[in-house]
Amino acid sequence: MARVYVSSVIDASAERVWERVRDFNGLQKWHPRIRDSRIEDALPSDKVGCIRNFNLQNGDNIREQLLGLSDYDMFCMYSILESPMPLSNYVATLRLTPITDGERCFAEWSAEFDCEPNEETGLVDGIGNNVFQAGFDALKRHFGGR
Amino acid sequence: MARVVRSTVLAFPIEQVWAVLRDFNGHDQWHPAVRSSQIERGRDADCIGVVRAFALNDGSELREQLLTLSDAETTYSYCLLDTPIPLFNYVSHVRLLPVTDGDMTFWQWEGRFDTPADQHSELVKLVSSDIYDAGFNAIQAHLEQEA
Repeated sequence: MARVYVSSVIDASAERVWERVRDFNGLQKWHPRIRDSRIEDALPSDKVGCIRNFNLQNGDNIREQLLGLSDYDMFCMYSILESPMPLSNYVATLRLTPITDGERCFAEWSAEFDCEPNEETGLVDGIGNNVFQAGFDALKRHFGGR
Repeated sequence: MARVVRSTVLAFPIEQVWAVLRDFNGHDQWHPAVRSSQIERGRDADCIGVVRAFALNDGSELREQLLTLSDAETTYSYCLLDTPIPLFNYVSHVRLLPVTDGDMTFWQWEGRFDTPADQHSELVKLVSSDIYDAGFNAIQAHLEQEA
């Protein structure tokens, strides 16, 4: 089982950042790598079990299923159903936690998956840098960097 | 039941912060409210179930028991056994998480407890400001001194 963990501090309250990232169909609004997204079968994007079908800027297509969503704990958990990446059993969680001593929040994005041993380093680095860290960098730019 | 959650970010790597925090008998070295502390029965401070008996600067004496300690998850929890302050069923959780894009540490400190209704807000303020926030500032200063 391979694991990716990326965390960051964003200069805005957890509520404000959550408002920006909670829409399971809204990745293209804040993540620079995503070109467009739709929810299959016209389901609402906060219906647990719905599937987002989206395209990266490079044309790759990915289908992901919403496994859990909590406005109270501010996390979103999802799995990959189909992607060009050589992995399986991929489950990821994006989570925000308030930092009480300032207008900022702690953001974590983690994933676990199975893959061939020789693919692990490339996948962990690629997902960690190009997806998770790139997403946090975009949020930090949006909300103002420190 | 009162619940207090306070959190901060320290500009030090998690290994360095955890090295200080994991010592259940070390709070007299950094927390401004704690004058002296010892583990009862001469046990090691990282044995689950040990009790720390400590004195505050005002002379009051408290006993707290270690409930959980995890190096893998950089967490620990403890409960209050004896205290002159009316905090009942007090259980506290400390959790550290790494900030991977800055080599910093996220620290969350949470407490749950019962209090007499007429002292609720006063005791919530005591725990959140005088214990948790004061602890954050003290660790920051302690680590800066070490550096």
